[in-house]
Amino acid sequence: MTVTQSVAVASRGKPEARRPEPFELKGTMASFTVLRLKSTDLQLVEHQLRAKTSQLPSLFLDAPVLIDLAPLGDEAASGLPLAELARLVRACQMIPVAVAHVPDAQRAAAVDAGLGVWRGPISTRVRAGAEPTAMPSHSGPSVGVAETPGPQPPLSQFNGPVVVTKPVRGGQVVYAQNNDLVVLAPVNPGAQVIADGHLHVYAPMRGRGVAGAQGLPGARIFCQKLEAELLAISGAYVMAEEIPVAMRGRAVQVHLEGGECRLTAL
Amino acid sequence: MDYVSSIKEATVSNASKVVVVTSGKGGVGKTTTSANIATGIALQGKKTVAIDFDVGLRNLDLVMGCERRVVYDFVNVIRNEAKLQQSLIRDKRVENLYVLPASQTRDKDALDAEGVGRVINELKEMGFEYIICDSPAGIEKGAQMAMYFADEAIVVTNPEVSSVRDSDRVLGLLAAKTSRAELGGPGIRTHLLLTRYSPAMVKRGEMLSVADVLELLGIPLLGVIPESKAVLQSSNKGTPAILDETTDVAQAYLDVVYRYLGEERQHRFIEEQKRGFFGRLFG
Repeated sequence: MTVTQSVAVASRGKPEARRPEPFELKGTMASFTVLRLKSTDLQLVEHQLRAKTSQLPSLFLDAPVLIDLAPLGDEAASGLPLAELARLVRACQMIPVAVAHVPDAQRAAAVDAGLGVWRGPISTRVRAGAEPTAMPSHSGPSVGVAETPGPQPPLSQFNGPVVVTKPVRGGQVVYAQNNDLVVLAPVNPGAQVIADGHLHVYAPMRGRGVAGAQGLPGARIFCQKLEAELLAISGAYVMAEEIPVAMRGRAVQVHLEGGECRLTAL
Repeated sequence: MDYVSSIKEATVSNASKVVVVTSGKGGVGKTTTSANIATGIALQGKKTVAIDFDVGLRNLDLVMGCERRVVYDFVNVIRNEAKLQQSLIRDKRVENLYVLPASQTRDKDALDAEGVGRVINELKEMGFEYIICDSPAGIEKGAQMAMYFADEAIVVTNPEVSSVRDSDRVLGLLAAKTSRAELGGPGIRTHLLLTRYSPAMVKRGEMLSVADVLELLGIPLLGVIPESKAVLQSSNKGTPAILDETTDVAQAYLDVVYRYLGEERQHRFIEEQKRGFFGRLFG
């Protein structure tokens, strides 16, 4: 779901005068949410996209989105009303910025719809050995809107697991998108630590912890000292009260077994 | 001065320290602490000002006993309705001590970062070494303005769960919503002050212990102030408790001031005091 794109446009030439430049044009590596379109039924797409974004509104709100038409194939993509597609993405409170794998005949329509034409590579590789994943709500026929969010490998050296070394305090949220999250300081009550991959907390874990946030049943949670308010993996969760007394205050790992969270001492 | 340079100037200068006294929860002793620490630092010969950020309520001037001398206030200065010199109230008991009172007729929206930054800069230019910002309760605008320009924070906490949780929340804000955090330089230094502490209640398991609080908040302990009637009496009189050295509260605040200024002092008032024969007889 994330793409890392490098664009080298930065001019290395010397500025003519010593006047400060009014801007910089820089090549950059940026992460984007990619909407891989697999259906031309835009009503269905809108419906499912809304359902998905409403699950983690803070994550998707105002997020720039790259629309990838590759899964549709050229023929289906040629007949797609891009302006309508852009409208529905905006209606879901995301901001479509560009469209990739757009047929030549549709380029003008893309530009008219306010979308850039993306020509760079899009890498959304799936980690070797990882199970195919789906959101728990995805039980119906999979006409998938956005690509089923899968486990993402660290795409480059710029996008490895997220490591947090300072305490995560009440009211704070740390989210490792498409990644593992490693926390080396206490997670306090009222704090939330969320990872799309595994979650590691090598300190007292007193807040809420989520692994496999976008749906990844293979994700696990590792806590050095378990005092959590809530632990969840891929939609299944245990509340503090349900955590056996024998596990509290101990080093514990949590994984999914038969769709339920299972706690084992480490 | 524009917004960004006002932030930079307020942060860069090292000659003076901006200290916010904050907590999240109300009624834990922020104003008492501001008054006593400001007074204690001034007693050490450092030019000190305490600013009341609790716009709309106004307490600091009462606790410091200068409420009858308030003509202009902090908001007047921010709005350029009065000069800073006109609004500063000079303490009659302690040299080098000044109070910048809050306005009772406005609300917290009267505070804005540019105006607050300008006033703090001006105080620095006037040679104030310690600028103590007494934060209002809560985590909204008033509290955020009080912490925004701070170099250091004294987080006042009572030994009970909700107060500790709120302090934790505030520590998160201090790490994110201050000019130091935004400029990406060294973070704000934080100190824990545990107030209204009663060793007897801790012993009976009715109150969180120092260790409990430290375990959760994980910041250095500046001091422990015992629960005491002297605090209420001194507030009502408008005389900061620290001025009457016979009380344990004054001793505790003096320790805090010395410790804050870099002197090593053993922590006191954590264990239950052994009461003497007369104490038992008349206590």
